[in-house]
Amino acid sequence: MERGFLKRIAEPSFTAIGYVVLLCLFAYVLSPLVWLFVTALSPKGSPYLEIPERLTLDNFVNVITGRVVGGTKTAMHPVYTSRWIANSLFIGFATMVITVALSAPAGYALSRLRFRGKDLLMTAILLIGFMPMTAKMLPIYRLARQLGLIDNLLGVSLVIASGTIPTQIWIIKGFFDHIPKELEEQAWICGCSYLSTLFRVVLPAAGPGLAVIAFLSFLSGWGNFTVPLIMIYSEPLYPISLGLASIFVHNPGEIGLAIDYGSACALSVIYAIPPILVYYAFREHLMKIRLGKLEVR
Amino acid sequence: MTNVVIGSLGEWVRSNAFKLTLALFMIPALAVLVIFQLVPTVWTIWISFTDMALLGRKFHEYSFVGLKNYEKAFNDFGFWASMRVTIYYCLASLVLRFLLGLAAALYITSRKFKGKRIMAAIFLLPYIIPGAIHPYVWLSMLETDYGTVNRVLRALGLPPQSWMYERLTESIIAINSWAGYALAMLVLTSALTSIPKEYYEVADIYGASRWFKFRKITLPLIKYPLILTLILIFKEDIDDFTYAYMFTGEIPYPDYRTELLALYAYHKAFSDFELGFGCAIGFIIAVIVFVITLVQLKIGGV
Repeated sequence: MERGFLKRIAEPSFTAIGYVVLLCLFAYVLSPLVWLFVTALSPKGSPYLEIPERLTLDNFVNVITGRVVGGTKTAMHPVYTSRWIANSLFIGFATMVITVALSAPAGYALSRLRFRGKDLLMTAILLIGFMPMTAKMLPIYRLARQLGLIDNLLGVSLVIASGTIPTQIWIIKGFFDHIPKELEEQAWICGCSYLSTLFRVVLPAAGPGLAVIAFLSFLSGWGNFTVPLIMIYSEPLYPISLGLASIFVHNPGEIGLAIDYGSACALSVIYAIPPILVYYAFREHLMKIRLGKLEVR
Repeated sequence: MTNVVIGSLGEWVRSNAFKLTLALFMIPALAVLVIFQLVPTVWTIWISFTDMALLGRKFHEYSFVGLKNYEKAFNDFGFWASMRVTIYYCLASLVLRFLLGLAAALYITSRKFKGKRIMAAIFLLPYIIPGAIHPYVWLSMLETDYGTVNRVLRALGLPPQSWMYERLTESIIAINSWAGYALAMLVLTSALTSIPKEYYEVADIYGASRWFKFRKITLPLIKYPLILTLILIFKEDIDDFTYAYMFTGEIPYPDYRTELLALYAYHKAFSDFELGFGCAIGFIIAVIVFVITLVQLKIGGV
């Protein structure tokens, strides 16, 4: 009797508690984002949530054309929003090209070759990628200075690419492993050379994998903060991440923005759109890879 | 004689052309990895034993000082202050990220609740937008007078806090767990959905209790992803100082309230120009990550 009663009460109340927890989680996750999107679209931005009287795209136009006006705080320096967007795009695409060009052949070789110590090599590659960035950033700075890569967007892309290559090699090797070897052997029998087999048979078959590593490496260049922080010092060469950090004022006791809130939020929204698009387009693939996002940040 | 050797070498090259080409394919990627990842990692250890400076004469003419940097670190007020902040930050973030991720994963995998697909997409949002945005989106929450958190606190009859100054460490923890719980959610979701339903059905036939099913079926099957998640969360937290940097800038707070070890290494190198000392901190971080990873693997029995 007692137990039956408890059981009858327990199930619905668990569900009710579940919905309450879900609601709290939902509020926690969404309320900052709602402010971001609302402020980006409202004509007059403010640091707290309020309903705008009308919606406008002026902030986006201002940010893209670089006509951003200084805010109330310390806006002494000129703001180069349009250049920051261009720099981030450049770093993203350069990282993508370098990473795909380097890790696709390596992943193919590791998938097809058999040699002693291959497992060891794969583990070593993964471990190199797992090393904390903060342990290597100072020597990377020194190396970059000696190679003349400071304030050089291509150098930044190269360093970011070297950090993301281990993950991408693992991902693309998995895709190549799924392509049967017989496919290539048949192509050779039909008189195809090694290179044309590679370009006409293997690479098209690995297309989705190449797309995945291309997009992941683009994002890792687009969103990176630490590498530009230690390698770029001239303001017109900042990517968006450093630009956002530079207009975020943090005097003790007073935190705010050096430009108006609407423009900063518009810039943030522009910065957030490519990752969101990529993740929702590739969700199925990424769920399968599961750990694809290990170091993309 | 030489002709024979060269001839047989040529024969060998011709017969192994495919393999040799493939081996050549690996070289560029491995070279870049070695130059920009492995060499800096090893170099950190070497620099940490020298008095190399970021600027001036000592950038090139540095000298070997033995363990002096480490001795200095262990006698330094700033080091221990930032160590305390780091431990607090990492532990709180680990717990929050894991619990939030677990709650989200349970919703996504449960059969009862509606709208799971949309929910999963929304829960993923904070994790996929770049980290430099997160302090911005939290301005509206943390603002002292009209911020959402303080409004909620006032509505509940609790005293509002100065989240932007006195409670900055807690603010950064909140931002970090908001930004990162989705990692645990992703891994746990895929682990939970990969358990075959038949296991539970068989257990039901034998009348197993919920706790028994959790202990004997669910836990062993998600143990490996679980440990992996904890390791990854810890590594991300100790390695990433984006939020701490954005709330601090180039000079640390007098009481080091936002000074994670990673940020401390950065400040030592780029504000105080002590590259050797910064590298010592960096190497200490690497050792901590290594030890914690090993301990977690050991506890997990993986």
